[in-house]
Amino acid sequence: METRELLSHLSKLENGLNSFSFNELNSDEAHELKRTFDSFKTGLEDKVFGTPIVQTMLKAEPKVLETRQDNNEETTLIANVSHEIRTPLNGIVGFVELLKETKLDAEQKELVNAISAASGNLMDIINGLLEFSTLAAGREKFERVPFNLNNLVGEVAFLCRTLITNKQIDLTVDIDGQVPFALVGDPSKLSQILLNLLGNAVKFVEKGKIHLKVNLKAEQENRTYLEFIISDTGIGIANDKLKQIFESYKQAEPDTYLKYGGSGLGLSIVKELIDKQQGCIAVTSTLGIGSKFKFILPFDKVEDETVVNIVKTTKSEKESTSIAGARILVFEDNVLNQKLMENRLKTWGCKTHITDNGIYGLKLLENHEFDLILMDLRMPGMTGFEIAQRVRESNHKQICQIPIIGVSADFDVADESKSKAAGINDFILKPFDADELLQKIAQNVKPMVSEKVKKSKTVISQKVVTNDVKLINLIPIMEECMGQTELLDELVRLFKQNILEFIGKVKIHLQSNNAQGVDFATHKIKSCLKMMEATTLLEICDAMSKACKTNKDLKYLTFLYEEFIQEYPMVEDALDKELMKIKLED
Amino acid sequence: MKTKELLLAEDDLMLATLLRYRLEKSGYQVVLVHDGRAMKEGLEQKMPHAIICDVMMPYFSGIELVDYLRNELSSNIPIILISSASNEENIISAFNMGANDFMAKPVSPTELLARVGKELNRYYCT
Repeated sequence: METRELLSHLSKLENGLNSFSFNELNSDEAHELKRTFDSFKTGLEDKVFGTPIVQTMLKAEPKVLETRQDNNEETTLIANVSHEIRTPLNGIVGFVELLKETKLDAEQKELVNAISAASGNLMDIINGLLEFSTLAAGREKFERVPFNLNNLVGEVAFLCRTLITNKQIDLTVDIDGQVPFALVGDPSKLSQILLNLLGNAVKFVEKGKIHLKVNLKAEQENRTYLEFIISDTGIGIANDKLKQIFESYKQAEPDTYLKYGGSGLGLSIVKELIDKQQGCIAVTSTLGIGSKFKFILPFDKVEDETVVNIVKTTKSEKESTSIAGARILVFEDNVLNQKLMENRLKTWGCKTHITDNGIYGLKLLENHEFDLILMDLRMPGMTGFEIAQRVRESNHKQICQIPIIGVSADFDVADESKSKAAGINDFILKPFDADELLQKIAQNVKPMVSEKVKKSKTVISQKVVTNDVKLINLIPIMEECMGQTELLDELVRLFKQNILEFIGKVKIHLQSNNAQGVDFATHKIKSCLKMMEATTLLEICDAMSKACKTNKDLKYLTFLYEEFIQEYPMVEDALDKELMKIKLED
Repeated sequence: MKTKELLLAEDDLMLATLLRYRLEKSGYQVVLVHDGRAMKEGLEQKMPHAIICDVMMPYFSGIELVDYLRNELSSNIPIILISSASNEENIISAFNMGANDFMAKPVSPTELLARVGKELNRYYCT
């Protein structure tokens, strides 16, 4: 996308604001909106024209810009600027939404809608620009982890199918038998590439076929080259436009934007992602017949046989240390340390309670569930050892088994025998760096959390059998259907469709950091969860709504979303069984 | 008595299907639309006897509908809003705008039928 385009969006926004009669409206929101916009505009002007560095860069000879380093500087600048534009733009988008809710006459409403549409478009463009420039500036890091290709492709195809609404598209996937299951590479980047290309295909095909084929292209000693072919029967791309399709900021036709939306950065991002991994991409297309994108990416072979087996049998679980969602109780009396701990734990997506009072902390334990306790051993009043002992003596199974990590600056306090006697599982010495803390928490929380998941799964499957606690309840809705099992069938089908759409939409909102979008989708899905009495899913959605409103950090939200996806198959299973039962009884 | 026509605007297909079935079963004629734009088009073609409308819909919200009907078309036909955001503020603003009734999701079809009946009686039989 060119600066020109950005400016045209901005001036549209400005025109909308100028012709809007703020004085007449005289509402607080309107003034706040204008103020935000003004500061946004001056901020932007400063960024682009004001500071000397930028000016020299804009006026610099093309030769200078050609060197890689300067290019990097430029893209870094774009990344920074895009990031900073987003904050005030968020303000604008938010206030326009508020403005919409006030009493407006028809003309004002039209103008506000124009502002809203223009700022929404601008937001999309900035998000794309941010992603692209982060990539181009080389800030993006590529992982090298073992993963299961079949699972990844399956997941991507699943997500793309959720994007197909109101269209007749047949999406098929074919992985050649020679392609190894287990590979080493960056799975999330690969799914981003595939999602982008398949997503594009979905956008440009009204009715027809989309096919993804994966072939083994070549094999070297420890490298595997895979070829991915995405073909569609869409509108196609004219020959003379094909060359520039991967160029930054260009869509095939200038009016593509009007018809299909998007910033035109999608394919540039795909190309960057592939280039950076020493791969290559090519496209062939015939207008009116369809397009074919072909890319080749190298992966490393999995050396260790055991890893191959693990990757083959388990889903591509990333072994990165994520403690998002862990509920942690912190005993700490120093206010500064409290703040530090709170900030760190929050950035990792943990839920925290911090207290300097032993008695209060023990009360908290009775009323809330926790996965871990971080205990400063030198506490006023009750010492850490005493608190730990009280925790271990608790009559509640969930409480007395919570792992405790002792925290202290004093090495002597870390007396092993004393710690063991008090029931402290692990120890971290102050001062510690963030990573050390993260690792310690992950070591102690992980086995517990995964055990809990396992446990809850077996418990749930037992529950389904014994009908003890139900994942869903079809009886009330069956009554509303007045015994019409055909209608019930249809409702169950629509319920599943609603959930699939929800999963797809939230994924996309999470990828574009759009908490508001997640909130809206979550809000929408709740009513049908209530109708089916899908209590476990409903609980997750309630937590998601809360997280959307209170927590700006999307890590925890992503954790909840993953929990939803994990839980859903069990609910679907229970749903099918119950439906079957009702039909048999009928 | 002539069959009463209802416009049902709801973008959750599952709930919409259930409500339509129950309304038709009770002898109403139902036009079902899934977003605000289609709803507006439906209204332009033919004015129903009553409207049941979700508050949060794409393109044209339930609140905007109330405003449009009451202020632009100067129509007083019964409007029943349904929404999952059932906080007090929402309900009050819906009534202030001129909605006749408000139901929180998940909507019980049986209760909706009773409320539709009441509204139609009030508006057409008095």
